[in-house]
Amino acid sequence: MSASARKTDEVENWVQHPRVAGVDSHSFYLPPELNADRPPERRGLVRDQVRLLVLNRKTGATEHSRFDRLGDFLRPKDLLVFNSSRTLPAALIASGPQFDVEVRLAERLPDGSWMALLTGTQKENRIVPELLLDFGLDLTATVISQDARIPAFWRLRFSKSGTDFLDRLYRLGEPIRYRYLSSPWSLSYYQNVYGHRPGGSEMPSAGRAFSWRLLFELRRKGVDTASVTLHAGLSSYLDDGLDRQHIASEEEYWISEATAKKIRRARKSGGRLIAIGTTVVRALESMAQQGDIRAQHAYTRLRITAGYRLQLSDGLLTGLHEPEASHLDLLAAFVPSVTIQRAYAEAIEQHYLWHEFGDVNLIM
Amino acid sequence: MNLLSDKFALITGASRGLGREIALAYATEGARGLVLVARTIEPLQRLKSDIARIAPEMQVTVIQADLGLPADVERVAAITLEACGGRLDVLINNASILGPVPMPYLLDYPGDDFQQVLQVNLTAPFLLIQTLMGAMVDRGGSIINVTSDAGRTGYPGWGAYGISKFGLEGLSQTWASELAETEVRVNWVDPGSMNTAMHRDAEPDEDPTTWADPADVTEIFVFLASDTSAHIRGQRFEAQSDWRQQLAAADVSAETGAPWATKI
Repeated sequence: MSASARKTDEVENWVQHPRVAGVDSHSFYLPPELNADRPPERRGLVRDQVRLLVLNRKTGATEHSRFDRLGDFLRPKDLLVFNSSRTLPAALIASGPQFDVEVRLAERLPDGSWMALLTGTQKENRIVPELLLDFGLDLTATVISQDARIPAFWRLRFSKSGTDFLDRLYRLGEPIRYRYLSSPWSLSYYQNVYGHRPGGSEMPSAGRAFSWRLLFELRRKGVDTASVTLHAGLSSYLDDGLDRQHIASEEEYWISEATAKKIRRARKSGGRLIAIGTTVVRALESMAQQGDIRAQHAYTRLRITAGYRLQLSDGLLTGLHEPEASHLDLLAAFVPSVTIQRAYAEAIEQHYLWHEFGDVNLIM
Repeated sequence: MNLLSDKFALITGASRGLGREIALAYATEGARGLVLVARTIEPLQRLKSDIARIAPEMQVTVIQADLGLPADVERVAAITLEACGGRLDVLINNASILGPVPMPYLLDYPGDDFQQVLQVNLTAPFLLIQTLMGAMVDRGGSIINVTSDAGRTGYPGWGAYGISKFGLEGLSQTWASELAETEVRVNWVDPGSMNTAMHRDAEPDEDPTTWADPADVTEIFVFLASDTSAHIRGQRFEAQSDWRQQLAAADVSAETGAPWATKI
């Protein structure tokens, strides 16, 4: 499937193409102590001092390093492509006379409505179309419709839009957090230093380890940088069964002419394109599917798995993904699944840390 | 006119005094968009109306925020980024609070008030610059921090305010140094004595008519925001002294074409 302009009438069917269960599953046991339960800065590290597992695409060989030595693995004219998305405080509590419900924003739709996961109550059956959710501070949302595949997923229309909506969201919301965390870390911990497009439900965490000091150092070395924007949705539906299905979603992305120009230049000069995160791979490869490297704002349902022939992405910097995560499917487009499994076994043995505040993996 | 065309600027402390006058000056100079921040929204709404009369096409976003709260800084940054399409050209850290009035000696200064003054006057500029850097670093940008002579001399009774400005001077120097290899430049300006509500609160026994009208000290802020000053970085200016002479010393000549340059 290729990137395509999204039609309004597709909104109701935005979740499509469920993954075939059992194919290319990536099962392994992750010891709980390897969940990064706090940001590196709260573990006594600078953000760029997390560990770096380097996986060679050609040989499958691994090398263990530290992220602030990333420059050792890059060459002048290489191009790092970042996701400029900035994380929203996307979890809201709606209070009603009968019950409270947690609303986790997942995706802003073209007509300004939102897809959201409604959780935190056993009263999901009380969620019905036209129900008014009240968040306080004059912010309400009207429930429009239920998603066909994910029962807790609903389309909502908020009473505010644009900067007025953001103002209320930032006053009321909290970052989306998961159970392995030791503390309710504030929103600022969920940002990449370079993020400047608010809109992500979750942090594109592959880039979290970059510090400005490291970025300046790489620039001095002749490594170029560019950015795309793809706002990440929810990484979990808080339902193990649904999460295992890897239900694919349609995602909106933006690539500027400045970035397209840098990509063309890097390819012409022999520089390698290194995607900082799986979201960037999806945006870049979706652009490539259009047959031209140019500015675009589009929607993609592109699914990248083992056997997919990558056209633009020479390398990938990514986090360490939990068992069964859909991201592992995408990694298999870079290296065989068996190589990933071996590298992950090594990472577990060497006590690498997983999740958004954990260590990172460079595949190139 | 139009020295700031195509520029998006964020101005804190914009509801009155110097911040308000800088906003009006930027509107006059054709800025593309302004984001104006203050503790109270009504004066900002009035300013927005005033700007609409000067520049009806200009995009103006007003934000009520307490910059003493880190969460409000993050909210201001997000709204700014949304309003300006993910880019920012000019950041004016103008907001400051005086602390308790009449201003007590440090010996008598309540600790909570001391913290609050440092939060607004020093920590907020630090966080705003840090949070918004991603929107400035690619295209370049101008950061202007508003300081004071109380940031260079420890006047008795100027307590936390003066100390916060000492900190802001250091902050400005360090940012300027760390950003030296980027297109983001940091300068800081002491506007001098102005007839503002805050200054009248600080020195109620003085004659405010001897102080400058804040509308008369905005030129340096226009200059530092404009591309004409693209090569000026890491410098402290005094708005009411002969800063054009300072520019001349910094090897700025009339060939820049800037109106102030021709006055040298």
